[in-house]
Amino acid sequence: MMVTRKTLTSATLVAALGIILVLGVLAGRTFRGPARVTSNDGMTVLEPASPLPEFRLHDQNNQVFDRARLQGKWSYVFFGYTHCPDICPTTLVVLRDVQKLAGGQDQGVQYIFVSVDPERDKAATLNKYVSYFHPEFIGVTGGQDELMRLTRALGVYYERGKARNGDYEVQHSAAIFLIDPEARLRALFAGPHNAARLAQGLQRLKGS
Amino acid sequence: MARYKRIVAGIVLMAACVQTLAGNTIVVRDAWVRESPPGAPVLAAYFSLENTGSKADKLVAVRCPDFENVEIHATEIHDGMARMIALDTLTIPPHAIVKLAPGGNHLMLHHPRHAMVAGMNVKLELHFESGTGLTLLTPVRRAESGAAQ
Repeated sequence: MMVTRKTLTSATLVAALGIILVLGVLAGRTFRGPARVTSNDGMTVLEPASPLPEFRLHDQNNQVFDRARLQGKWSYVFFGYTHCPDICPTTLVVLRDVQKLAGGQDQGVQYIFVSVDPERDKAATLNKYVSYFHPEFIGVTGGQDELMRLTRALGVYYERGKARNGDYEVQHSAAIFLIDPEARLRALFAGPHNAARLAQGLQRLKGS
Repeated sequence: MARYKRIVAGIVLMAACVQTLAGNTIVVRDAWVRESPPGAPVLAAYFSLENTGSKADKLVAVRCPDFENVEIHATEIHDGMARMIALDTLTIPPHAIVKLAPGGNHLMLHHPRHAMVAGMNVKLELHFESGTGLTLLTPVRRAESGAAQ
C-alpha cells in the first residue's frame, strides 16, 4: 500500500514537472522574439533582425510606399505628424544632421518620416513638410489599417488626443528605427536623439 | 529694413532692461522662434526665464498678435511616447532659471497669420503673476541641432 502511494506520488510529481516543462517550451515559443541588447549610446539592437510584414502606404508624391521601398537601403524611420511643433521638427533637424555627418552622399541610406495623422497630412502637406528639412527626405502615410501593419510590427504606438480649439494632438512613439536593406527592423534609438550617436550606430551595424 | 528691425529689437530689449531696473525680477534670455516648414500650422518659441528675485513668480499668459493663440506646453517622453501637456502657468522659483528648449517646455504658437521665415521678428508679450509684463521682439531662426556644425 505504502509502495503504491509512493509510486503514485512520484508519478504525479513527474506528470506535474512534465506539464511545467511543456508549458515552459510553449511559452518560450510564443514569447521568444529577437534578443534586444541596449548599449550605453541608447541604441537597442535586435538579434536577429525582425522582418517587417507587407504594407501599402504612399509617399509625399503619392507614389506607393511599401515594403519593397525599404529594400536595398538602410532606413532611419521616425513617426510623427506635421501639426507637432516641438519634438517632430526637433527630430527631423537631428536626422538632417545625421545626413550631413554621412557626407550627404550616402545613397545607401534613406530618411523616412511617417505621419500617423493621415486625416490632416495629405501628400501635398507632407511634401512641403519633409522637403523643408531635406529635399531627399521621404514623407509617408496612408490608411489607418495599413499604417497599423507597419506600426504594430515595429512596436510603435500612437493615439489621437481630444480636440481643443479645433486642433488635436497625436501622442506618438519618440523612437527612431533603423531598418536594414532586407526590410528588417535591426535597431532602435530611444530619445532624446543625438545625430552623432545615430550616425555611429549605423556604422557599427554596417561593420557587424 | 533688416537694420530698422534690429533697431526696434534693440529698443524693445532696452525697454525690458529698464523694467528690470525698476524692480522686475524676471529676465528673459535667448528667445527665438523656430522657423517652420512652409504652411505648418504650429510653431514653437523658446527662451530662458531667470528669476533674480527672492519670491517665486509665474508666467500666466502669453500674447502674440502674429498667431491665433499661444499656449504654454511641455513635451514629455514617457515609456517611449512623446506627448504634449498644456500648462496653465509656468512657475519660476526664486533665484532659478527655467528653460524653454526643444524637446521640453515651449510656447506653442497656433496658426500664424502670415508666413514666418528666418530673419523676421515675432512680438511676444509675456505676463507674469507678479504683474510684470515683458514685450520681446523674438527672432525667427532656422533650427540647427548643432551636432553637424
